[in-house]
Amino acid sequence: MTAANTAIRLLDVHRHFGEVRAVDGVDLEIADGEFFSMLGPSGSGKTTVLRLIAGFEQPTSGTIELAGKDITGTAPFERDVNTVFQDYALFPHMNVLDNVAYGLRVRGVKKTARRQQAMDALAMVRLEHVADRKPAQLSGGQRQRVALARSIVVRPKVLLLDEPLGALDLKLREQMQVELKQLQRDLGITFVFVTHDQEEALTLSDRIAVFSEGRIVQLGSPSEVYEQPVNEYVASFVGTSNLFDAEAARAVLGAEGRFALRPEKIHLVAPSASAGGPQAKGKVAETIYLGVGRRVVVDLEAGPQLVVLEPSTTEAAVKRGDAVLATWRTEDLVRLT
Amino acid sequence: MSSTPNPTLAAPSGAANRRFSSFLATRPRLRLALFLTAPLTWLVGVYIVALAALLVSALWTVDSFTGEINRSLTLDNLKEVVTDALYRTVTLRTLFVAAAVTVIDVALALPIAFFMAKVASPRLRRALVVAVLTPLWASYLVKAFAWRSLLSEGGLLDWILGPFGIHSPGYGLTAVIMTQAYIWLPYVILPIYAGMDRVPGSLLEAAGDLGAPSALTIRTVVLPLALPAVIAGTIFSFSLTMGDYITVNIVGGANQMLGNLVYTNVGAANNLPLAAAIALIPIVIMLGYLALVRRTGALDNL
Repeated sequence: MTAANTAIRLLDVHRHFGEVRAVDGVDLEIADGEFFSMLGPSGSGKTTVLRLIAGFEQPTSGTIELAGKDITGTAPFERDVNTVFQDYALFPHMNVLDNVAYGLRVRGVKKTARRQQAMDALAMVRLEHVADRKPAQLSGGQRQRVALARSIVVRPKVLLLDEPLGALDLKLREQMQVELKQLQRDLGITFVFVTHDQEEALTLSDRIAVFSEGRIVQLGSPSEVYEQPVNEYVASFVGTSNLFDAEAARAVLGAEGRFALRPEKIHLVAPSASAGGPQAKGKVAETIYLGVGRRVVVDLEAGPQLVVLEPSTTEAAVKRGDAVLATWRTEDLVRLT
Repeated sequence: MSSTPNPTLAAPSGAANRRFSSFLATRPRLRLALFLTAPLTWLVGVYIVALAALLVSALWTVDSFTGEINRSLTLDNLKEVVTDALYRTVTLRTLFVAAAVTVIDVALALPIAFFMAKVASPRLRRALVVAVLTPLWASYLVKAFAWRSLLSEGGLLDWILGPFGIHSPGYGLTAVIMTQAYIWLPYVILPIYAGMDRVPGSLLEAAGDLGAPSALTIRTVVLPLALPAVIAGTIFSFSLTMGDYITVNIVGGANQMLGNLVYTNVGAANNLPLAAAIALIPIVIMLGYLALVRRTGALDNL
């Protein structure tokens, strides 16, 4: 990756609040036009990294570059970066159109021109019809889209999104995910997306950085992060995993080390069936119907419990107390560091 | 273990309480009546009746020979107050002082309130709130006299500013304005502080994020959102200055404000009806001001 197509570069960035190392040495390169997600639980440092890029916080040490230019120490209003806030931060005393036009107004764009551009931005999020309303008169989803329009109207190089879908209900969130992705493709703007929702990160992103305690623990494409988690933390935070510690690995897998196995990679067959490859005998402890499938908890004879995700198409559903044989492919077993 | 309440002994009164509570729980009107009787009695009986009495007594007259109050109703006092040049002059002077005090207080309170609400650390903020409130615990008279000595010839102000060629303004309207601006400042800072505290920090960040430098953020976001709170503060400084007569007596020199006229008419002149008529002037002005600012939402910020 050369400087020419790097949108954001962080070099050994630290941000300490007294004793707390909120960001503890982050190196990061985000490419132009990329949909990049920062994933982690609250307090993992992802939001602080976003605020450092936006300029609301200054790093304790390290440098931040935007399009190859060092922007460390510059004020937010000097940065060609815009933020969509978690609480949307719409100006309550202005109507929707004035909110969207605000960035143009402070840049001195003439009134008719900025109204036109603001209407165009509102059209992109299909909200022209609420231009005259105050933010308080909008629904959560509409406010979210107004915040989005307000940020993209000034055509920033990078759009920062701080858990923008967190306050929306599930249905709306899924719909907005599709819209965000389309918008990002249409505009070609780099999106840096902060979320604690691993599913959202997997769905939307080109690449994901998984944060823990102020550091990036894994950086890669969604499938890399999901299929090859580097450690127990990533394996359990991104999706669910059956984790085998050293003892369990020896007992069940007959192997040294620690491993993770995704529930949907395991198949349950009758104990009489002869199956090649890795397998473990057990008894069904619990079955939970999920709609798209069925989660089956199996008590293995070797000791540990195994969570299995069965597709709902399986004709003969296993029942509590059934003896089963769990099978999987060797390559689905992920060795953890 | 005598301090431990004995459940069997406590039971009878507890049970009565519970019965009374459940009796009330199903009767919201009775509950409301019990709740509001005392404050409403005070408000209606003392406050509104007193105000009505003031209005009525303004329509009475005093026999200038005997000093007896004549209770037949006439508009003479009101006519005198409206037409007499003396009252017009004093009213305008009082308005001017109140306006000047209000402008000075708002100018001082805005940056202080902004700093307290949006810049200071929580620790410093608490210290500043205490610092702003502390002068309110000192007697009004003490503060006015402190300013009298401060402003006196050869006083502290002269002593500090003398070397720079600036002298104390002496006793007069300027001294009244300075003193009143000092005394009422906390009443202006606190509502503005509360109003700015209610402006979410993310709005300021959003304005900066969208390209507005600090001054523009304050002008386009902070001030419009804090305006109702600012007006709430001006209601305090304006009305408190309008009604004052002590400060002007202490540092005002020979100047008179409406409060003084009321005071002399109640006391020395023994003309209670005329005093009542004069007292109506600031009331009418304040009612006019309140009606004017009602639409800004300032009254929700008091």
